[in-house]
Amino acid sequence: MSTQPTLADMLQRIQRLPALPAVALDLLNTLAGSEPDVISLARRIAQDQAIAARVLRVANSPFYGLQKRVGSVHDAVVVLGFSAVRSLVLAAAVVTGLPSGQCTGFEPDRFWRHVMGTAVAAQALARRLGRDAEAIFVAGLLHDIGRLAMVAIYPELFSRAVAVARERDCSLQEVELEIFGFDHAAVGAALARRWNFPEETIDALACHHQPAHGAPGGLAALIHYADAISKSLDFEEAEDTLMPILDAESVDALGLDWQALIEVLAETQARFDSYRLMLG
Amino acid sequence: MSEIRTQALDEVRPGMELAEPVLDAGGQVLLPAGIALTEHHLDSLRRRGIDTLSIAQAAEPVDAAEIARQRERIRARVMHIFRHTADDPGSQALLHAVLAFRLERLK
Repeated sequence: MSTQPTLADMLQRIQRLPALPAVALDLLNTLAGSEPDVISLARRIAQDQAIAARVLRVANSPFYGLQKRVGSVHDAVVVLGFSAVRSLVLAAAVVTGLPSGQCTGFEPDRFWRHVMGTAVAAQALARRLGRDAEAIFVAGLLHDIGRLAMVAIYPELFSRAVAVARERDCSLQEVELEIFGFDHAAVGAALARRWNFPEETIDALACHHQPAHGAPGGLAALIHYADAISKSLDFEEAEDTLMPILDAESVDALGLDWQALIEVLAETQARFDSYRLMLG
Repeated sequence: MSEIRTQALDEVRPGMELAEPVLDAGGQVLLPAGIALTEHHLDSLRRRGIDTLSIAQAAEPVDAAEIARQRERIRARVMHIFRHTADDPGSQALLHAVLAFRLERLK
């Protein structure tokens, strides 16, 4: 197809897209182990009204069961702890900071509900499996980020992909490969590389549809399953939600038993119910 | 089975059952829990400036047919999401766990 862009074309044009908010990048650095200056971070977060308001809405939701409402980001850190607030801020920063773009057939709210659901599911899985729940939250939040770039840069092509997937009742990722020659996973991984994300996050974004291609024992398999959990709990609230094909070997290798899986579903649902308040 | 509801005094009718005792400022019981309220009670509470009461209400009767319909809706919805993958080995655990979890939440 002569109109087909190359991934390299696309990445060149991504340069012009707004990046993640600076405060989100600082928080991501604290994940990599740099010692957080919690007070100054809280102050900087509080300066961004859009982010702070969303964080407080969730922090005051019944999920956290606070006796008293928290009125500031600083208080939220005191009561809930730095790492809980960091997850909230990252989610709010991604939702408010990244352009959700517009094209026919793309529904930003549905997109955000799905990725938030995936992030909390990934976190719930990581806790059961003794993995780092924070790094995986970020990977869940960003796993479909490539789609936002595709919508922003090639809205007509992306609209066509959505229409074809709907018509054939098949996965959008499959149609992306056909129409673009690459999929949102490749775009997302390239973006994560540009943002200097850790290698395991880049790998998770790149391989969340083919976890067998990811680093053995890496995050891709967790995101693969978390993506499916988010779909299965209907967080998209869309008639045509479609379960992706799950890689049986990668799923088995996670080693979740029935009880653990039920607990993951319950935790995911409860956290999602509070996180969704972020979307207003 | 009954549930407790906070209701504005103006909406409380004689005959309704008080779910929690009404206390005065000193902690003295004015009216004990469980009594059926009379017009006289309501007048005296109004004079004391009390404006809400905890009322015991019979829970909605559980309609077995409605529950069966809701269960069927959930089952159909989950099967719809798994419409191309219900027989895949990789989907089995999640499909069954989600069905069990979403049906359990109905209760």
